Amino acid sequence: MSLEKLKPYFPWITLAALVLVVGAINPSFLNPASLVQLVADIVPLFIMALGMTFAIYIGGIDLSMQQVANLVTVVATVYLVQYGIFVSLLCIGAGFAIGAISGWITTRQFVPSFVATLAMGFIALSGARFLSGERALSMNAEARDASFGWMFGNTAGVPHELVIAGILLAIAWFLQTRTTFGRALKAVGAGELAAVASGLKVDKIKILAFALSGTFAAIAGLMFSVKLSGGDANLANGFLILAIVAVLVGGTPLTGGVGGVINTLVGTLIVVVIRSAMVYLDVDATMQQMIFGVILIVAIAMTIDRSKMRIVK
Amino acid sequence: MGSRIRRETLVKWAPLLVLIVLCAFFAAMEPRFLSTRNFARILIAASPALMVAIGVTFVIIMGSIDLSMEGTVSVCAVAFAFCFLWLGGTLASWAWLALPVAMLVGAALGFINGLVHVKLRIPSFMASLAMGFVGTGLAMVMTGGDRIRIEDELFRSLLTERFLGFPLMVYVAGLFLLVAWFIQTRTTLGRNFYAVGGGEDLAIASGLNVNRVRVLGFTLAGVFFSVGALLAVGRIGIAETATGNNFMFLSITAVVVGGTALWGGLGGVWNTLVGVLIVFVIGNGMVVIGLPGYVQDGVLGILVILAVILSTDRKSISFVK
Repeated sequence: MSLEKLKPYFPWITLAALVLVVGAINPSFLNPASLVQLVADIVPLFIMALGMTFAIYIGGIDLSMQQVANLVTVVATVYLVQYGIFVSLLCIGAGFAIGAISGWITTRQFVPSFVATLAMGFIALSGARFLSGERALSMNAEARDASFGWMFGNTAGVPHELVIAGILLAIAWFLQTRTTFGRALKAVGAGELAAVASGLKVDKIKILAFALSGTFAAIAGLMFSVKLSGGDANLANGFLILAIVAVLVGGTPLTGGVGGVINTLVGTLIVVVIRSAMVYLDVDATMQQMIFGVILIVAIAMTIDRSKMRIVK
Repeated sequence: MGSRIRRETLVKWAPLLVLIVLCAFFAAMEPRFLSTRNFARILIAASPALMVAIGVTFVIIMGSIDLSMEGTVSVCAVAFAFCFLWLGGTLASWAWLALPVAMLVGAALGFINGLVHVKLRIPSFMASLAMGFVGTGLAMVMTGGDRIRIEDELFRSLLTERFLGFPLMVYVAGLFLLVAWFIQTRTTLGRNFYAVGGGEDLAIASGLNVNRVRVLGFTLAGVFFSVGALLAVGRIGIAETATGNNFMFLSITAVVVGGTALWGGLGGVWNTLVGVLIVFVIGNGMVVIGLPGYVQDGVLGILVILAVILSTDRKSISFVK
């Protein structure tokens, strides 16, 4: 097998190597039960990263996801008693709408997605702060268990979060590889002008991609809210950068058209393994951030496939 | 032909027009907005951010991006504080050496950032983001999470000493703005930034060592980040890991609002000055006219989008990413 053929598997190899190294130093890391729990705990981050994949796949970026998730935690908490399980529709609708507006601003008003989504995030933050009255709200426990109790718990040793993550991954994967929309996304990411020339409705596709990332952000926010049983305009803070990092480490570069949702799965796992390994290996708390950054550079240098990047900007 | 020239002129001056309209609007809502005192307040808050934004402007002109500013600012601030206190703790002694040391630290971090980007062939977005983590982490290791106070009166005169109503740090920022303008327009390096951003193939074909220009660009950005760090420490008198917080999105928003294109080759330091002022005038104006806190984020978002829309020449671009 040549190096060329191995390239798509670089992220997997990086992940396996990381797990083995950490496991060799501290075997208790490889305990299956704790591994499953470790993965179950990062499901909201993974869902956010899945959504981010769509934005990055077309060569853009969605910086509003964290604020969308924040807004959704507040919306879910405030309207849970009133609407029960249907509050999820409200949340997902809000995510879809904010994403679609971001997409519209980017494609039709020529505002770079970096700024357009950042600004939409501020607007979502405003909404969250207004709706929450600038307080941390807690959910009505009964209504929560009645409507969303199924989100957490175990069936035959498999945490429900993992099932949800699996279903969403399957949907995202189906969209990306088995639909015309997915192929159109790839076309737009690989070369927008060529996509326009071949008659694709590029604007519509891009708007939909941002709407999808908003939707996934909303789902992640809903899970946060149920998991922590509350809503707050700052609840999901800190997840945006990690989601971007997860997508990038998985091998979906910002240039677009390369990578995809499976890469994001690997990328999220790599990020989580690095983070938790530092806990397992007793790395001093003040050192963790620095070591995370260094390992990140190494991981990205190993995983990204440069064959499709003519110029590295 | 006439209308074409008018449109180009309009687009060129659009950010400045936006700034003037904003000032006029806030002044009409609340006359106190126009007082020297309030302008001083805006400029004090904007000075550190301006330095950081100018640094990243050079990188963006090359068509790359630098997201390491939060880490670099923190490390420079902390390195300066340690060095300053170790050498005596007042500008009147040898401790003034801490100023160039901090700038060297910034240059070194930018240099490493550029090397990681160019030598490991990692896109600048990812390389600099990761370097930012390393920087924040390094500042954390150096301080152990503590805050370091700088109480030297001579150094704090950056904020306390006023000339014509404005504190010294505003003039320092102005001086470095002129330096940046000089680099941009009067040096080969400055012209090379535009060459790389305008079309890398052409730049390579004409014999330019693009990698060298890139590394130098990131190094220069690091120096300006360190000046931003010094002003930030001068403003609040504290150096800590959190000194760099919020600079990343703020500075890039300001650069884009000022009319510098993220795809490179367009814009410059004056655009960035206008962009930084727009962002800070919006922030200050909303407080002055008494908008409730929870509305301010949203209004900032809307105004930023509008500012970018107004200053984009949509006829000359086919798409943005």
